Amino acid sequence: MHATVGLPRSLLFHKYHVLWETFFGALDVETVTSPQSNRAILARGIELAVDETCVPVKLFLGHVDALRDKADYILVPRIVTLAKDETACVKFLGAYDVARNSVPGIRLLEYNVDVKNGIRQRPELCRVGETFEPNRRKVRRAYDHAASEHLRYTARLDEQQEEVLARPGMKVLVVGHAYNLYDDMLGKPIVDFLGKNGVEVVSSEFHDTAKARTLAKLVSKDIPWTYNKELLGALESYRERVDGIIFLVTFPCGPDSLMTELCMRRVKGTPSIMLVLDELQSEAGLQTRLESFIDLIEAGKRRTMAGGAAR
Amino acid sequence: MSVQLPDSRPFKVSFPHMGNYSIPVKLLAEQLECEIVLPPKMTRRTLEVGARHSPEFVCIPFKYNLGNYIEALEKGANLLIQAGGGCRFGYYGEVQEAILRDLGYDFGMVRLLGGWKLRDHIGDFKRVNPRLTMLRALKAYKLALRQTQALDRIEDYVRRNAGFEVQDGAFEEVHEAFLGELDTARDMRTMAEIESRYLGELEAIPTERPDDLLRIGIVGELYVLMEPFSNLFVEKELAKRGVEVHRFVTVSNMVEHGGRKGPAHVDDLIARSGDYVRYHLGADGTESVSMTYQLMQEGFDGVLHLKPFGCMPEVNAMASLQRLSREHTFPILFISYDAQTSETGLKTRLDAFCDMLRMRRQRPGTAGAIASGEERSTA
Repeated sequence: MHATVGLPRSLLFHKYHVLWETFFGALDVETVTSPQSNRAILARGIELAVDETCVPVKLFLGHVDALRDKADYILVPRIVTLAKDETACVKFLGAYDVARNSVPGIRLLEYNVDVKNGIRQRPELCRVGETFEPNRRKVRRAYDHAASEHLRYTARLDEQQEEVLARPGMKVLVVGHAYNLYDDMLGKPIVDFLGKNGVEVVSSEFHDTAKARTLAKLVSKDIPWTYNKELLGALESYRERVDGIIFLVTFPCGPDSLMTELCMRRVKGTPSIMLVLDELQSEAGLQTRLESFIDLIEAGKRRTMAGGAAR
Repeated sequence: MSVQLPDSRPFKVSFPHMGNYSIPVKLLAEQLECEIVLPPKMTRRTLEVGARHSPEFVCIPFKYNLGNYIEALEKGANLLIQAGGGCRFGYYGEVQEAILRDLGYDFGMVRLLGGWKLRDHIGDFKRVNPRLTMLRALKAYKLALRQTQALDRIEDYVRRNAGFEVQDGAFEEVHEAFLGELDTARDMRTMAEIESRYLGELEAIPTERPDDLLRIGIVGELYVLMEPFSNLFVEKELAKRGVEVHRFVTVSNMVEHGGRKGPAHVDDLIARSGDYVRYHLGADGTESVSMTYQLMQEGFDGVLHLKPFGCMPEVNAMASLQRLSREHTFPILFISYDAQTSETGLKTRLDAFCDMLRMRRQRPGTAGAIASGEERSTA
């Protein structure tokens, strides 16, 4: 008999799926991932969630529900702090309890990371692994293997990003959390639309976390949220090498609303817009805004070139 | 920790309002030996100017704070203090400073980040007033805390009794007089004397407590709980409807349960949450759930849950609260505040909620609804 673990394709899945898949794979535990976000998943999430919940958490609940009869357990991490002096967004503190209280008939597996208070990921995820594999050494080996695969994967992503940046043509940096950027109902249509219009998309995924934290300070001294620091790291690292910046914010995200406010005021010189995504948006409206943004960048480029020729 | 002093002297210090806590905060600010410019009393305009220059969906305390700053700067303040707090509150200062600078104001700012320990902040304050010593700051802190306790005790009594006054406005009159005297008290003995004298005066006010009085607890996010203007004076509105109002989030309680004792307090709250919370939900979220569970067990008629629109810790808490309310048929009224929340809408909802609670009381058998709910949960 093989146990199965469900992975909701939402929130931290987009950051840690290689870690989770490799870890459970090494323990001979089958993982089942919920499908790409779609209208039905979003509708179910909206039904289960408190009205004012942010769109990513609504999607998360929809994904948890989609796994209800598909897996023995559903994995939901609870992240508080990943380093001293910083914190994860409050939704990651509550994700486990929110899922438990909102979605009936599920069995959750949770692991808790609170580095500031000495609770680290390795022993916590290993504890989860011991549900399936009594041999603790084997579990620890599985974790270490998964952690190195995760690092290798993210390093490759950073390299790919550099390749995109080296290409000629118009490049736009999309600043947004991975769970928004790569979600079929949120960022994916935007990324695809830009691609179709000949724009190279640079994502704000930035995996050199130490460097991200240093760079983030150039924009914001006080920002406390880990994943926002990574976005700011990407912004500082890439902004002079792109032609435009899109801030992708989901309604009503607290950290992003404050971060974007500060960025729009402090980051001058590169054309930028803020797109707010909610559960009701129309693709046509978004495309119009994207088209006019692309026009704006092109007009700016032409002006610079004309100015250069006149000199 | 971050201090930027204004270019111009003398310094004129200001800080945002929160309920009547400007009284003890003023006592603290006096140690900076600068002129203190209190922001004008909150009005609709405070919210309007604050909201106009704020990010669209930032929570409403940000907008009120920014409104207070703008109105204080208009009054001549040039050094603003932002104390931060548990959640995104802690990040307000930097963004507010950027907004105010872009608006063209010339000012300095002290942003207090990190812990609650005086030791962490003394350096910041010394840069404003080099004559300040740790000893003096500690003395002022103790005085301000005593003043805060007096304030919280008196206001707690008013909350629980004002709904039953025989003569309209009797409690408010004594309350106002108390605030005036407390504001000038500068030593422990005077503070204690004022507290006990006014408590006596409050107790002497004639009241008529009906047999069917409702007991309602108020839980939720700290700013909208403690700033009556921001919650559209919900406590007074409840009192008008003959309700005994209980609230547990006060600055005295936050000081008592903060700092080193914080984690143990959170564990205790979780242990007394009826398994509706297993991990801390952030900021006041855990407390909202745990207090609601405890009040339900104590036989309260219902709970009001207040939060700024989009407040994530409280949205987390609502998932637990909604399930608790469903499983125990325990009435909870959820109120969310943004810049558009209307007073009329609130009053209608309070009327309906109180009517519903009274109907539950009157219908035979429903008085036991809470107890039978408990049976269900343990079955």
